[in-house]
This record gives sequence, C-alpha cells and structure tokens, in this order.
Amino acid sequence: MNVLLVLPLLVPLATAVAGILLLRVPRAARAASALGAAGLLAASIALLSATLDGTILVTQAGAWPAPFGITLVADRFAAAMVVVGAVLLAAVVASSVRGLDAARERAGFHPLVHALAMGVSGAFLTGDLFNLYVWFEVMLMSSFVLVSLGGEREQLTGGLRYVVLNLVSSALFLAGAGLLYGTVGTLNMADAAVALRAMPAQGTTSVVAALFLLAFGIKAAAFPLFFWLPASYHTPPMPIAALFAGLLTKVGVYALVRTGTLVFDRDRAFTDPLLLAVAALTMVTGVLGAMAQTDVRKVLSFHIVSQIGYMLMGLGLGTRLALAGTVFYVLHHIVVKGNLFLVAGVIRRVGGSFSLDRLGGLLTRSPLLAAAFLVPALSLAGLPPLSGFWAKYLLVRAGLEAGHGAIVGVALAVSLLTLFSMTKIWAEAFWKPAPEGSDPAPLGAGERLSLLGPVLALGAVTVAIGLGAGVLFRFADAAAAQLLEPGLYVRAVLGARGGGG
Amino acid sequence: MTVLLALAIGVLYAAGTYLLLRRSAVRVVFGLALLGHAANLLVFTAGRLVREGPPIVPPGALAPPTPSADPLPQALVLTAIVIGFGVQAFALVLLRRACQEAGTDDVDAMREERP
Amino acid sequence: MIAAVLSGFAVALLAPALAKRLGRGAGAVLALYPAALFFRFLSRVPAVVAGETPSASLPFVPELGISLSFRLDGLALLMALLVTGIGAIVLVYAGTYLEGHPRRGPLLGLLVAFLSAMAGLVLCDDLLALFAFWEATSILSYFLIGFEREEAEARAAALQALLVTGGGGLALLAGFVLLGQAGGTLEVSALAANAEALKAHPLYLPALLLVLAGAFTKSAQVPFHFWLPGAMAAPTPVSAYLHSATMVKAGVFLLARLHPALGGTREWVWVVTSVGAATMLTGALLSVGQRDLKRLLAFSTVSALGSLTMLVGVGTPAALGAAMVFLLAHALYKAALFLVAGILDHEAGTRDATRLGGLLPLLPATGVAAMAAAFSMAGLPPLLGFVSKELLYDAALRASPLPFVLVPVAVGSNMLLVAVALTVGFGPFTGPRGATSKLPHEAPVAMWAGPALLGFGSLAAGVFSGALSPFLSAAASSALGHPYGVRLELWHGFSLVLLKSLVTLVVGVALYRGRHRLRAFAERFAPLGALGPARLWRAGLAGLVSVAKGTAAFLSSGSLRQDVRVVVVAAVALLGPLLLSRGTFGAADALPSVRPIEAVLALLVVAGAVGAVVAGSRLSAVVGLGVTGYGIALLFLVFGAPDLSMTQFAVETLSVLLFVAVLRRLPRLRSRSAPRSRAVDAALAAAVGALMAGLVLAVHAGPLRSRLSGFFAESSLPLAKGRNVVNVILVDFRGLDTLGEITVLAVAALGVLSLVRLRLAAKGTAGAKEGGR
Repeated sequence: MNVLLVLPLLVPLATAVAGILLLRVPRAARAASALGAAGLLAASIALLSATLDGTILVTQAGAWPAPFGITLVADRFAAAMVVVGAVLLAAVVASSVRGLDAARERAGFHPLVHALAMGVSGAFLTGDLFNLYVWFEVMLMSSFVLVSLGGEREQLTGGLRYVVLNLVSSALFLAGAGLLYGTVGTLNMADAAVALRAMPAQGTTSVVAALFLLAFGIKAAAFPLFFWLPASYHTPPMPIAALFAGLLTKVGVYALVRTGTLVFDRDRAFTDPLLLAVAALTMVTGVLGAMAQTDVRKVLSFHIVSQIGYMLMGLGLGTRLALAGTVFYVLHHIVVKGNLFLVAGVIRRVGGSFSLDRLGGLLTRSPLLAAAFLVPALSLAGLPPLSGFWAKYLLVRAGLEAGHGAIVGVALAVSLLTLFSMTKIWAEAFWKPAPEGSDPAPLGAGERLSLLGPVLALGAVTVAIGLGAGVLFRFADAAAAQLLEPGLYVRAVLGARGGGG
Repeated sequence: MTVLLALAIGVLYAAGTYLLLRRSAVRVVFGLALLGHAANLLVFTAGRLVREGPPIVPPGALAPPTPSADPLPQALVLTAIVIGFGVQAFALVLLRRACQEAGTDDVDAMREERP
Repeated sequence: MIAAVLSGFAVALLAPALAKRLGRGAGAVLALYPAALFFRFLSRVPAVVAGETPSASLPFVPELGISLSFRLDGLALLMALLVTGIGAIVLVYAGTYLEGHPRRGPLLGLLVAFLSAMAGLVLCDDLLALFAFWEATSILSYFLIGFEREEAEARAAALQALLVTGGGGLALLAGFVLLGQAGGTLEVSALAANAEALKAHPLYLPALLLVLAGAFTKSAQVPFHFWLPGAMAAPTPVSAYLHSATMVKAGVFLLARLHPALGGTREWVWVVTSVGAATMLTGALLSVGQRDLKRLLAFSTVSALGSLTMLVGVGTPAALGAAMVFLLAHALYKAALFLVAGILDHEAGTRDATRLGGLLPLLPATGVAAMAAAFSMAGLPPLLGFVSKELLYDAALRASPLPFVLVPVAVGSNMLLVAVALTVGFGPFTGPRGATSKLPHEAPVAMWAGPALLGFGSLAAGVFSGALSPFLSAAASSALGHPYGVRLELWHGFSLVLLKSLVTLVVGVALYRGRHRLRAFAERFAPLGALGPARLWRAGLAGLVSVAKGTAAFLSSGSLRQDVRVVVVAAVALLGPLLLSRGTFGAADALPSVRPIEAVLALLVVAGAVGAVVAGSRLSAVVGLGVTGYGIALLFLVFGAPDLSMTQFAVETLSVLLFVAVLRRLPRLRSRSAPRSRAVDAALAAAVGALMAGLVLAVHAGPLRSRLSGFFAESSLPLAKGRNVVNVILVDFRGLDTLGEITVLAVAALGVLSLVRLRLAAKGTAGAKEGGR
C-alpha cells in the first residue's frame, strides 16, 4: 500500500472529521484546518517528487488487485494537480481567518472545505470510473453546501441553479458509467482502455464517450453548458469563490484530459474538431460576457469560462506541445484565478463594494493591494514574463505548428480582450478617483497580514512560474509525453499482462 | 423484457426532463428525483437482467451458484441510491429555503438581475 | 551586459523610496544608472565599428529554443546609446519638472523600468525575449500615459495606446512563432544567415504581414497612428522619452533589425514603403492647424516615423544609411523640442503656440537650445538635421520603385515639418510678447541643460559629421546585413539634392510666416478630422462593448429553465446523430421473454412517473414518485437483487416522508408556463427519453463479458470471508466507494443543519441578522 497515494485522501478526511467535532470551538477548528491544509500540502509535494522521474505510482485500495479493486494512480499530471489544489486550499484557509464571517465558520466552513479537498484529490488520483463519480459527488456535495452557506438570498437562488445543473451532469455521468460497464464489462480506466482497443472505434462506445464528454463538459463549464457558473460563483464569500474558481472546473478539465487521452482516444477525427470548435466558442463567449460586467466577481467568473476554452484548445490540438500547453495552463490558472478572487475579497474590504461604479482610488489607498491585483491580472492577460504568457505561447505555438491558424487567431484576439477587461478593472477600481459616497476602510495591521499575505504569496508563485518557465515547461512536457502514451499507465496499473491488450 | 424496461427508462427520463423544465421549483426537484430513478434503473439494466437468484454464497459452497445475478451493477446502484438520497435531501431543504427567501415557487422569479 | 540592463528593474523598484529621501536631486541620482550604461556602451564603440559583435546569452527554455540573448551590433549600439543617453537627460529633467508632485517617485521608477525594457529590446537577438521586452514597454507606457490618473482623458488615452500596441503585439507574437517555424530558430542573427530560404518559405508572407502589423502599430504608422497624439496626455518628460525618442522607434527598429532576414522582397518593399510614405505625408498634413505644441510635435513625430519606415522599406544601402542618420538626428532634436515644450508649459503656463512669443530675453538658455533643435529639424546647415535630410532626399531620388512619387511626398512633408519646427522652436522666442498666464522666467538648470546638450549635440554632430561616419556605417551595415559605408558630409556639391533642400527651406519658411492663415484654413477642415481612424476606433470599441453586453444578456438570461434547455438540446444534438449513425441495433443480448409480474411492475413504474407529471397537487405528485420508487424496488427484487431492493425501499420511504415534510406550507405557484413552451419542453423530453432508451438497447448488441464479476463471485468467501457478494463488494472490494458515499451523507447532513439553523437564527434575531462577508 503506497502511503503517498492515500495521504491526499486521508489527511483532508481526518481534518474534516476534526472540524466537525470542533464545530463549537472556532479557534481549535481553525487551527485544525490550518494544520490539515499544511499536511495536505506536504503530502502532495511528497507525492509529486516521487513522480518526477517518470514513475507512475500505483496502489490498490484494500490490496485487491487491479482491475477488480479500486486503483489509485499518480502520474506527473495527477500529482501536479493535487499539489496545486493543496496550494490553493492553503491560501484559502489562510485568508478565511479574516476574510470569512464567524457565522459561516460555525456553520461548518472548515470541515466542508476539507471534504471538498478530499473529493478533489480523490478525483485526481482515482483510476476507476465509478470511483471518479463518487469523488465528484463528494466534491459537488461539499460545494453545494458551501455555495449556500450563509443563506443569503443571492446564494440560495444562485445555489439552486448551481445544484440543478450539476446534478444533471452527475446523472449523465452515472448513466455513462453504467453504459460503459454494459459495453466493456469493466470500470477500471486502464482495463477499459485495453478492452476498448479490441472493439471497433466507431461503435456504441463512441456514443458512451460522448456522454462522458457532455457530463465533464458541464463540470468544466464549456460552451454551451456553462451558464450555471456566472450565475452562482459570485454569490458566496470570496474565499469560497476562490476555491471554486480555482479548482472545481479544473477537475472537469482533468477528467476530460484523462479520459480523452487514456480511455476515449480512438475517435480523434470526430472529437478533435468538436473540441476545437467548443474551445473557440467558449473562449469568445466567456470574454464577451466578462467585458459587459460591472461587478468584479462577475467579470472574474466569466473569465473562468473564457480560460477554460484555452485548456480545451490544447486538448483538441492533441499534439505533445499542445498538451504540455494545457497542463501548463491548468496549473497556472488554478493559482492565478484563485488569487484574483481572493484579491476581489480584499478589494471589497478596502473599497467597500464589488461594483466598479462604486469603487475608485484604490491605488492611492493601498499600493500593496494594487500590486497584489496587478500580478495575477497581467498574468491572466498573458503578459510576459508572467506565467500566463508562457501558457498562451505554448498553445499558440502548438496551434500554428499544427496548422490551425484560425483558432490561434481567436485565442490571440480573446487574449487582447482579456487584457482590456483586466485594465478596465484596474482603471475603474484603482486609477479613477473614488466616487462620492463610497465608504472605504483601510486595512488594519493584522488584516494586512492575513488578507494580503496569502494573495501576495500566490502572486509570488505566479512570478516564480513565469521566471522559471523552463522548469515548469520541462515538467509539463514530460507530463504530456506520459499522457500521450497510455500504454505506460496501463502497464503500471495492470502489470505486464495489461500491456498488449 | 429488456426492451420493455428500456422503454420504461425512456419514459422516466422523459418525465424527469419535462418536470425539470417546469416553472415550479418543486416540480424541478421532482424531476431530479425521477432522473435519479431513471439513472439507477439504467445502470441496473445495462448490467444485464437475469432472472436467477441473488449472488449469495450458500452454506457449504465456495461461490454463488452459476448462473446468478451480476453483483457489481447492484453494488454500483446501491451506492448511487444512497448518494442520491443525500443529495436529494439537501436539495429539498435548499429549495424550501430558496422559496421562502424569494417568497415564491416560481423559478423564473428567482432570476438574478441583468448585468 | 544582461545583468546591467536587468538591474534597471531593481533600480526602478527602489526609485520611489529613493525619491522621497533625496528630494531635489532624485532625478540626477537616478540618472546615474543610465548614464553609467551610456558610458559603458560608448566604450564599446570602437570594437563594434571594427566589426565585432559582443554578445551574451542566458538559456531560458532551451527545449523550445528560447534564450535571453543580447547581441551588440551597430544598430543595437546606436539605439542603446540613444535610449540610455536621452534617458539620463530625461530623468534629470523629470526630477525637477515634477518637483512637488506627490507621485514623483513612482514616475521616476516607471521611467527607469521603461528604460531597462527598451534597452533590453534593442539588444535582444532572441525573438521571444525581444517580444517580452516589447510587451513590457507597452504596459509600462500604459502606466506612464495614465499617470495623471484622475483625468479621464489620460486613462482613455492610455487604454487606447495599450490596446492598439497590444493588439499589434499579439500579431507580432504570431508572426514570430511563424518565423521560428519557417526558419527553425528564434535567433535573429541565425535567421538572417538563412535569409534566402526564409524568404522563399510558404510561411514567409503570413509571418511578414503579422510582424508588420506589430511594427506598424508600435510606430504609429497609418492607419494606426491615432494613438500617438492621444498619448500626449502623458507628462511631458514621458512624451519626450517614449513618444519621440524611444518607444515609437521600436517598430522601425524592429524592421531594420529584421531587414537582413525578411527585407528586400517585393512584398516588403511595396508594403513598407507605401505605408511609410503615406504616414510621412499624413503626419505632416495633420500637424497643420494644431495649436498645442505637444500635438504639433506628436504629428511631426508620426511623419518622421513614416520617413524612417519608408527608408527601411526602400531598403537600398543609401536608404538604410539615411535612416540611421535620421534616427540619430531626429532623436536629438525631437527630444529637445519636447523638453522645451515642457519648459514653456512649466514656466509660461501654456502650450498654445498662438499665445507664446518673444520669450528669448526671458528664457535665453532655453531659447537658444530650442532654436538649435528647431533648425536641425528644419534642415538648416550645419546642423545634423541638414545632413540627414540631404541623405533622405538622396535615397528617395535613387529609390525604386517610384522615385517620382517618393520625392514629392518627401519634399512636401518636409516643407510642412519646417513650418512645424519653426512654430515650436523659433516662434515662442521671437516676435511680439505673447499673452501668457504667468510671467515666465528661466527654467532651472536641470531643465534647460538637457535641451541645451541635445541642441549642442545636433550642432556638433552636424559640423563633425564626418567623424560620425564609421559609427553610423556600422549601424547601417547591421540593418543591411552586409558592410556599407555611409558618407556624412556637409557639402556634397551642387546637386539636385541640395536644390531640394533649398526649396524645402524656402517654402517651409514661407509656410511658417503664413502660419496663422494656414491655421485658420486648416481649422475649417477640422470637422473632417472627426472621420478617421480615431473615430473608427472609438466606434469600434463602443460597438464591441455593446456586442459584449448583448452576448452577456443573452447568456445570463437568468433562467434556470433556459440553462437546462440548452443542456438538453446539446445532449440530444450531440448524442442523437451519433447514436443513429454508430449505434448497433438488434439488441441481441436482450432478455426477450416477459413475465407477467415484470410487465406489471414496469407499467407501475411508468404510471407513477406519468402521474407525477400530470398530477394536479403536490401530494399526488409525491404519491406518483413513491409508486415509481417502490415499483423499481420490486423490479430489483424480481431480478435477483434483494439487498438493492431493501435499500431502495428504505430510501424511497424516507424520501417520501422528506418530501411531505418539506413541501408543506411552501408558497404556491400561481402562473404556469405558456402552452407553446410546454410543447417545446415536451418534445425535448421525448427526445431525451428516446435517446436514453435507444442507448440502453444499443448497449445490448452483444453479450456482456464482465471482466470483474467472476473475481468477485469467486473470492467473496475464500478471500473476503463474506457470503453476500454485493455486500462484500460494498465494504471490501470497493470499500473506497462506500467511504465516499458516507462522506456525501455526512456533508449533506451538515448542509441541511446549516440551512435549517440559519433559518432559526433569522427567526430568533429578526433585524439583527448579519450579512457581512
């Protein structure tokens, strides 16, 4: 039993349990939560370092051999996702110290957040399609409660939309899992890959694959299935929104990448153009939606959608460089998007509102906040040498090398509009003088550390990724190479007999 | 029989989808419940219907008699039912609170403001 | 070299703090940094002239061929000297110009950062590193133009500049990637070596057009010129530095830098030359009628950039040589004139050319410097401007194609530019005293020293132009790709060129004398100026925003039902055709026989569902749901799944109870959806139903050979010690699933608790409910 694979599940579980037991003792709950987040981070880093040399870590839950028992698998991509998720969790927990009201904390913010983390880690590490469904449900259930935590009207009505659409997605997923078993007779992803190779590529299995595409597409907020996101992501408090924005859609993207490269990779002539078209539409509609908003949270929510388009573009292109670009983009985006939402929370705290019409003069009031905003904002817009630029460059280069000039053009145009949108927030909230009647409140010393600290830390990560782009690229490239060779995964899980199929 | 059940599943999906599109939030939740039933039945049916006995090892034997029902889809559906129940319970309470806050059962009235 | 340039960013970060400490001398102290760089570069002149190219390289992402590599050739050296030299002067100037301004420190810091970025840009040999610096200059320019951020006009101008240059930048990126693909490398020097193959490559044309888009936007070529006059909203030191001497030159610089690799083809010559010529003329024409000194200078800069572009387009050795000389001459006199405009603004309180006059006695040093610069711009010997103009005309005469177009355009534009030069640098200091708001006096030394130095430089360079020849030749050679000697001399003998210069001067002076009438004439055409790229830009931007608003309104129609409808339509549209085309029908593995009890149960299930749909009251709907649930439970029992059946019974009972408990006293729905929408929904629902039924049948095309169940059945007792295989799967074989399932239940419970509790809290503390986040 490889402990490294189990810890990312057990640590958040234990923390969640502790959180429930300590519900009445907020101080202790906070401490337990922080400890848990740190523990998860440490465990995930250990996991990642074990995969750096290309080893694919495998363990069987209950020691039942694959494909009968549930397999936990970590290749480079999965391990990196777990790490970045843990980083975001740590930042969110840190900023919840001051950024979250006491009522929500007492209602169970901490155990819920760790339960969410457990679901997310499980989704990244599982090698079984039904088990993936279960972890999705854990993650979704936690997010349902978190989005409505606090019971404000916006949250409840937005929450209802969020819940209904994600339940539709779950229902589709479940159906797909059942149908897949009904066709190939297995649920283990590696085993399914082997079994599917023996079947015609264009049969019923491709319809089942499309079902998964739909289910994951809803989760990943792809066009035209993303409408639930801008309706709900802006309603909970910013630490929660940051966690959602950074992680939840990426789990959907991860599932698409994993199944697309491992299990359902045989009908590329159909899925690739579809993915590219979806990617382009997602990019464009997302950024146009963002440009029309005046509420900072809504702008950021629409941008999530737009950026998902980029990740799907890499998957649709399918070359090694393109997949490296997607991996790079996903990792960079989790950090940057989470960061931006946390910054939004501080903007509200200092400027008194989320609405651009009522904000102003923040550059004078808090230059540190301005810097904290500028770094992730410019990174999102793809300015060199920040992380976002490299992610965009990889995709542009992959696209041009593959001869897909049109989508590259779309991607670049959307990038310009993203820059426009980010500078709009800058100009309205930071540059323009504060309008009459706004009620700004400067940050106290303690708040400065707990609110700006996590944000600046995440910003530093963004800068580090940008300046050290070579390092991350080498990793992403190696991860992409692994992804494009499903045989490696299959052999690791099923042993020698799984190799030939 | 498979055909009959497939048709039943189709009706369940249709009914569930139709209810999901209604204006009353309560009917939406009913729709979700029906969709859940439909999905469970689908997984069960796709795992192949057998009229044999359940997969239980009788005393004195080492394995259940062959042929017997496939245990795996049963386990999957069971898990799905329980998860579905938990989710449904929460969705119900959320619905109640949302309707109370909004003062109405009308889903269209629970829109957010335009940007 | 690399460290020296990059350290500028560190200096920039320290600048605000330094400025606070140092007070008056902040500008001067900060100027030490670029001054040091300037002298360092100066020391390299002999080596570069001799043909060496010192370089340094830092690999960044070697797998992708990206490295931070600097290469100091003639062209880079010329630009680097301009950037650092003028930068030092501007810093000293700015330190005093902004004295008393609360945000002087950050501005100085931004200027230093910009300086580093620009220096990096001109030294880069790697295209991607160059691009990084390019974008850095764009964003720094945004912050600099919008420095007076309380002014909405400044903010708008900054955005406009950013979007135009940024858009061009993105095209540039695509162009660079294509170049890298076509040439196999991102190093400019390597691309130049491979130029023949590159120019014949099928990707040459798209790459060229994209690169040109980037260069033209940055260097304010027609039709992208409109952002430059707008950028005059920046503080004057910024305009002097960015928008005359450095940033706007970046595009032309890039063209010169890439000339060996890309230039000389028909496409290059035609496109670049014509755009350049058009810009040269447009800029000159638009400057007529302007009153604001800065705007006069801005439009003349546009024109100058046009000439430079045209020369690079023509691409002959003579043209490139002329371009290098002009680059130097223009930087010297334009920066000086901008700084003078700033002095006049600072001291006399106005930049309106019609209100300034006769100030020479009051501002002697400034006036002399201004006149030197103005005469250089007008092309009077023995200033450098004259030498450069001669070379320009010479190149135009010998250009192909169409010298007979280029020459009149050049001469015509320059006539107007003479007038501009005199209006800015001569007019304010001569003639009757103008009506100014303040009584002006001479500016502080720190402010007039710069223009004086630059003016003197124009004079000295002109007089001793011969000595400059080797240096400028080195620059031209880099741009050409092969060695070439530029001959700078004051006296070429009587020639057509000299004639043209004379004509230009004479007519220009005449235009200057008649400038008031000219201005009045031009102002009648002012409404025409409302049409044009700037207007198009504003309209385009507004149009884009309304498209965005429309899209957003359409997307977040706010309705849950619409969202679900979209998902359903997508599902049917995607899966339907797939199923029909690829599904296998025949359901060979279906269970054919039907037992009566099973049929009854199936019917029961269907009846319950239909009942739930058509039920009038909520309670009857719940009954319908219950019937469906129990019917399914019985079906499970019949098909050999007793555990499952029991669970379903239990859960269904709980569900019904829960429904009844929760749905009591819920507000009633008054209105129902329109019949048409109900019909649509019914159709969609039917489609979904058919789809799923079809899928179930399609799956039964062949036998199910479960790869898992055999193991479960066989190992359940011996290995897992359990008799009920389903249970064993749940708790042992697939225990991890059950762990997740339990977690879901726990979280759901927590969620219900929190929702209920907060309700009670609201009830108990009505009015005191805190909504804070």
